[in-house]
Amino acid sequence: MPMKFTRRVALALCGVAMTMSVAAPVVAQDAYPSKPITLVVSYAAGGGTDAIARVFAARLEKALGGRVIVENRPGAAANLGTEVAAAADPDGYTLLIGNQGPMVVNPHIFKLKADPGTDLDPIAMIADASLVVVVGPSLKVNTLGELVEAAKSGELVYGSAGNASASHLGALLLGQTAGIKVRHVPYKGAGPAVNDLVGGHIDFMVTTIPSAIGLIESGTLKALAVTGEKRFASLPDVPTAIEAGVPGYTASAWYGLVGPKGMPAEVKSKLEAATTETLSDADVLDKLKNDGAVPSSMGPQAFADFMAKERTRWGDVVKAADIKVE
Amino acid sequence: MLDVFINLGLGMTVAFTLQNIALCFLGCLIGTLVGVLPGVGPVATIAILLPVTLSLDPTGSLIMLAGIYYGAQYGGSTTAILVNIPGEATAVVTAIDGHKMAQKGQAGLALGLAAIGSFFAGTVATIVIAALGVPMTRLGLLFGPTEYFSLMIMGLVFAVVLAHGSLLKAVSMILVGVLLSCVGADMETGRERMTFGLEMLQDGIEFVVLAMGIFGFGEIFKNLADPEARDVVRSRIGRLWPTLKELKDNFPAILRGTFLGSVLGVLPGNGAILGPFASYAVEKRLAKRPEDFGHGAPAAVAGPESANNAGAQTSFIPLLTLGLPPNAVMALMVGAMMIQGIVPGPQVIERNPELFWGLIASMWIGNLMLVIINLPLIGLWVKLLRVPYRLLFPAIVCFCCIGLYSIANDAAQVMMAALFGIIGYALYKLEFEPAPLALGFVLGRLLEEKLRQSLIISGGSPLTFLQSPLSAILLAVAVMALVIAISPSMRRNRDEVFKEA
Repeated sequence: MPMKFTRRVALALCGVAMTMSVAAPVVAQDAYPSKPITLVVSYAAGGGTDAIARVFAARLEKALGGRVIVENRPGAAANLGTEVAAAADPDGYTLLIGNQGPMVVNPHIFKLKADPGTDLDPIAMIADASLVVVVGPSLKVNTLGELVEAAKSGELVYGSAGNASASHLGALLLGQTAGIKVRHVPYKGAGPAVNDLVGGHIDFMVTTIPSAIGLIESGTLKALAVTGEKRFASLPDVPTAIEAGVPGYTASAWYGLVGPKGMPAEVKSKLEAATTETLSDADVLDKLKNDGAVPSSMGPQAFADFMAKERTRWGDVVKAADIKVE
Repeated sequence: MLDVFINLGLGMTVAFTLQNIALCFLGCLIGTLVGVLPGVGPVATIAILLPVTLSLDPTGSLIMLAGIYYGAQYGGSTTAILVNIPGEATAVVTAIDGHKMAQKGQAGLALGLAAIGSFFAGTVATIVIAALGVPMTRLGLLFGPTEYFSLMIMGLVFAVVLAHGSLLKAVSMILVGVLLSCVGADMETGRERMTFGLEMLQDGIEFVVLAMGIFGFGEIFKNLADPEARDVVRSRIGRLWPTLKELKDNFPAILRGTFLGSVLGVLPGNGAILGPFASYAVEKRLAKRPEDFGHGAPAAVAGPESANNAGAQTSFIPLLTLGLPPNAVMALMVGAMMIQGIVPGPQVIERNPELFWGLIASMWIGNLMLVIINLPLIGLWVKLLRVPYRLLFPAIVCFCCIGLYSIANDAAQVMMAALFGIIGYALYKLEFEPAPLALGFVLGRLLEEKLRQSLIISGGSPLTFLQSPLSAILLAVAVMALVIAISPSMRRNRDEVFKEA
């Protein structure tokens, strides 16, 4: 009997404690953040976007002085994460890593339940990840110019991480800018595509730097150009596409912080300041470099303008290639 | 050859530090646990543990994560044998005869053979990685989309032997599996197929959802509806250890399984899942009494179990030698390396020899640990069958649901599995085998992907499948197998075999 009594007391105490912990944030509502922040990632754990989100979140916690929990919500071609974030309360406790695909490409391809342009609020740009043009052993070319020349035969094939992925769009834009026709072979993820590139079954790829850098350094794959505006620190000898003779060709996978429309101004400015602080940490910069990215600090307005521009730009690429789904 | 031993010696000194042995043990233990628990797989576990590894050194964290992966392959067979629920695609084959053995009171023998076969395969595969890593990589690279497609065709033809019972039913199950694998966005155009506008189907059906539903929930419905069947398993547990003669009888199967698993594990796109199926097919062809297959043949457990463990290990080869992940778990390992600032690629072996050889050496230690963890546990696992069903079933359902939810933090996956559970029960009632369906599902996805990739690369010419010598050979084998299967004398034999059974 006494045993039962103590157990009941313990249960009651637990109940009280739980009510208190739930009630606590209501009392301290003014000090954001007063409860854990959920950072939604639209991709599965272990991928490129996830890696960048986790590096960012870990340091952001320190800058904000509160927990930031990364929640992977993959699905529906990365549109599920957009929907989840757009539908959340605009209180700053649900945020989203907004990147190139779902933010500015998918609106041209899918019929979306939430429009990232109107249902989400840009907070700050985080990082910019250039892509790299690589060729495998099947192709004896040394420069981007030679690749373009070889592609005039109309027989070259390139692999991508999937339909409408950054690597697909990057290659589409290269083809459109340089005026060449190349055939697209979609894979499920960059890994298997790079594998077939090494095996010589496909000719070239425009892929993310981390997916190829090891093979570039060992000489297995040849890097012809990076697609950013500047060269990438880990690949100092690889020219940009513009330097290599394809004027006007830039493509990058970028990552930013967005939230549901209608967040309080002070929450947004706090998050923006915390992002700036995070991106000035040397350790964060180092880790971003490993993920093939460079920090790109942009405030809400600059980031919004950038996204609008990107949306138009990739919309044209998508239309020209006719990869619309609906 | 001497180099290999010097290098393995270096690896041993790395793997035999107190910290790394402890991490290896921890990984194997966690792996065994998530393998045994239906629904909770190594992908989710490693993804969750990834941030934790930040505080460890690179070698230690990879040793632990690798332990989780092959430990889960090991543990997965336990659940497949005891309760007929394969948590991983590689355990589907084990469930067929393994569970029948458990029903016949040979649960201990099945678990023992699986453990011994796995250990042998693990040891051989470790040596294969160390000695043949580079040539094996080249072999893997020979398989482009064209060769891969022909390999799948050969696999599908051999799949027919998986069936015990009506050939027509088996073929239709394979086709349904292939159809189910087509659900979701088209890989080339992104257009939705067979999704009925449902968002949860847009990315296709997860294998775990299908397996948990049809095998897991379906099995539980079946047991609830048929109390007699389950009491058979409960009343007869039998001997726990295989005799020397049983070991000797099954050793050839273990040897062949190890070989098949090692070779197929190197292929990109998760070739490791083909190993157990191939091994089952080969063992059935070579068996003196093929009619026993599907009714608890020990070789049908020993062979495929060796194959799946060998494949799990050799799938590290492309990761270690090229930095290319052949499956989802290896992709997470790439993530783990990147977090630690190690760029996966061919240069890892020169720049981080202690990591490369330490990891390989730890695999052998890990396999030894798995035997030490698992053999004494066989008695305990078998006793699990004595747990009253009113407790065991809700527990299984609960773990399945947790695992299903954790795939994508999405409740829709759990509901979809429930639907597959009803389908699984209906299939059981109508006497359709679920294993060919699972195989069709697994192969179907790769089949379509590789067919379309080949045709894009060849510019639309189907001749490409004959122009590649490797592909042509594989197709020729498939055609030969098909001819033998439908030739009148073989058919008579086959029908007789099934009448007996």
